[in-house]
Amino acid sequence: MEVLDSGIGRLFHVPDPDGHRAYIRDNKPRALVEKVMTEQEAVSRFVSDGDYLCFDCNMVMRGPSSLFREVIRQRKKNLAVGGRFTYIIVNLLVGAGCVNHIDVGFIGVGSALTRVLDNGDITVTEWSNSALTMRQLAGALGIPFIPVRFLGGTGAFQYSAAKLVKDPWTEKEITLLPALNPDIALIHVHQCDVYGNARIFGPSVSPWETAAASKKLIISTEEIIDTEYIRRDPGKTTIPYYLVDAVVEAPFGAHPGEVQGLYDSDQRAVMELLQAGREPTGEGLKQYLEKYVYGVANHQEYLEQRIGLERLLALKKEAKIKEGYYL
Amino acid sequence: MTRASDFTETEAMISVMANMMEADRSYWVVGGGPPRIASLLAQALYLPNLTASTEDGVIAPQPLVPLSPLMQFVSAKASYRGVAWTNMNTVCSLASTGFFDYGMLATLQVDPYGNINSSFLGGDYYHPGRRYGGAGGANEIASMCWHTILMTTQEKRKFVKKMDFISSPGFLDGLPGARERAGLPAGSGPYRLLTPEAMFGYDEETRYMKLLALAEWVEVKDVLEKMDFEPLIAPELDRMAPPTEEELDVMRVRLDPLGVTISDGKWIHL
Repeated sequence: MEVLDSGIGRLFHVPDPDGHRAYIRDNKPRALVEKVMTEQEAVSRFVSDGDYLCFDCNMVMRGPSSLFREVIRQRKKNLAVGGRFTYIIVNLLVGAGCVNHIDVGFIGVGSALTRVLDNGDITVTEWSNSALTMRQLAGALGIPFIPVRFLGGTGAFQYSAAKLVKDPWTEKEITLLPALNPDIALIHVHQCDVYGNARIFGPSVSPWETAAASKKLIISTEEIIDTEYIRRDPGKTTIPYYLVDAVVEAPFGAHPGEVQGLYDSDQRAVMELLQAGREPTGEGLKQYLEKYVYGVANHQEYLEQRIGLERLLALKKEAKIKEGYYL
Repeated sequence: MTRASDFTETEAMISVMANMMEADRSYWVVGGGPPRIASLLAQALYLPNLTASTEDGVIAPQPLVPLSPLMQFVSAKASYRGVAWTNMNTVCSLASTGFFDYGMLATLQVDPYGNINSSFLGGDYYHPGRRYGGAGGANEIASMCWHTILMTTQEKRKFVKKMDFISSPGFLDGLPGARERAGLPAGSGPYRLLTPEAMFGYDEETRYMKLLALAEWVEVKDVLEKMDFEPLIAPELDRMAPPTEEELDVMRVRLDPLGVTISDGKWIHL
């Protein structure tokens, strides 16, 4: 296949479908074993310094916010982040010193990001939201690359690690994206059993591709349900158990974000987080992290000591749309 | 349908866009800002069954408005009463197979060939003057919908001859077959560019931006003063109708009561 053009961006994970298969063979538990553990244990066991981290949704929409906070609390270092479809979390992870590379789909920009971009402290490779999601699909299919009909011709292509080739069948130009098999994925779900059979209700970004492409997967869940309910209604299962390494019970785990059908986003908390991220000296973000992340031992303390029952119950009340969720 | 006499520039632009939307066509609409408000306005008043989809794969929702700025996707309100809840790759595949007639986008900068910048302004890629969010979902919308419609403000710094960065494709260098040579679908590309003061299309041959219509309160020279390059000018220029009282009422009371989007720009008094 003739390569006509190549992006000059740095490719963090060179696709290795056979290596990935061997990892799955040797490391993923196929047995029906209980995986429930605390967030401390899950993040400490499965998130390593230098990992490529990805996630479904973001900090305002059914994202794994409590797990993000734990990653920061444990001061993970040198993470690469699939920065897709996010307003807040990339800036927060960067501000906490956890990140040294960002693949850009869409990232909300705050002062921490602006600073490291100016300094050249972290490397950035350009993609788009769907480019990163299609890369995950290729990873989930166990293939080395995927052709797509977008990205070509732009600066986003030029600063990516994509290639333009001549398709051997049609003999027309086509863009190839390298597969992405992240080291670790974090996904927050509505319901999950102790083995990891997980249910997401409502729209999402790419829970399947994110789960199936990744080497390690931590699920946080609003509630743990009995496996009997899973078996009675298997059509509701989004992610089957053997993709999952850890199950963390985290009610209000998406806070300050929303979990559709269950609780609304906490706009006051979202604004506080956004403002902290934009404050130019970096002091605002530091104070935010001290108060909401380092200053509490875990998610339960975050909820009890920083947010409070009254606000949480109000958020449940504000989630007035129930159609399409749970039932 | 009483024409309004006092409104903001953004309200005027949104009204024009809403009136351009068609019942029997499908739209891929970017998350927030004027394109989203325009599609919600069209849906509220003219096209109850509007087929507009969003990047999270929600197909043809009838959102519970108002939507707060960061909750334009995935949220229960944004995805309310859709016909399907899919996901990002599904909606991308629908665009890839030609299901989307129109893509609707906002942009930071645009050049004469309808290329879009939403990545950074000033400096270079590795040392951006000011970094923005990135191509996001705009690249796939501008690449794969049959027609791309852009909405932006009429400002010299936005209509530039050469951009700092192309995040999402227009007609690229404008040469015949440029998009196809970059691997983009044949027959797709920029269609209209709307500002509060003007509507532009693109020349069939040269792909160069062409002024097609003006708002009632401006003349050609007013628009040209707010561009870094001179567009082609259609032999006969249309006038864009100002918003109706009813449209303003829906925008101000139901769609954007806090004025997050619609309050932008100066007030027009006719």
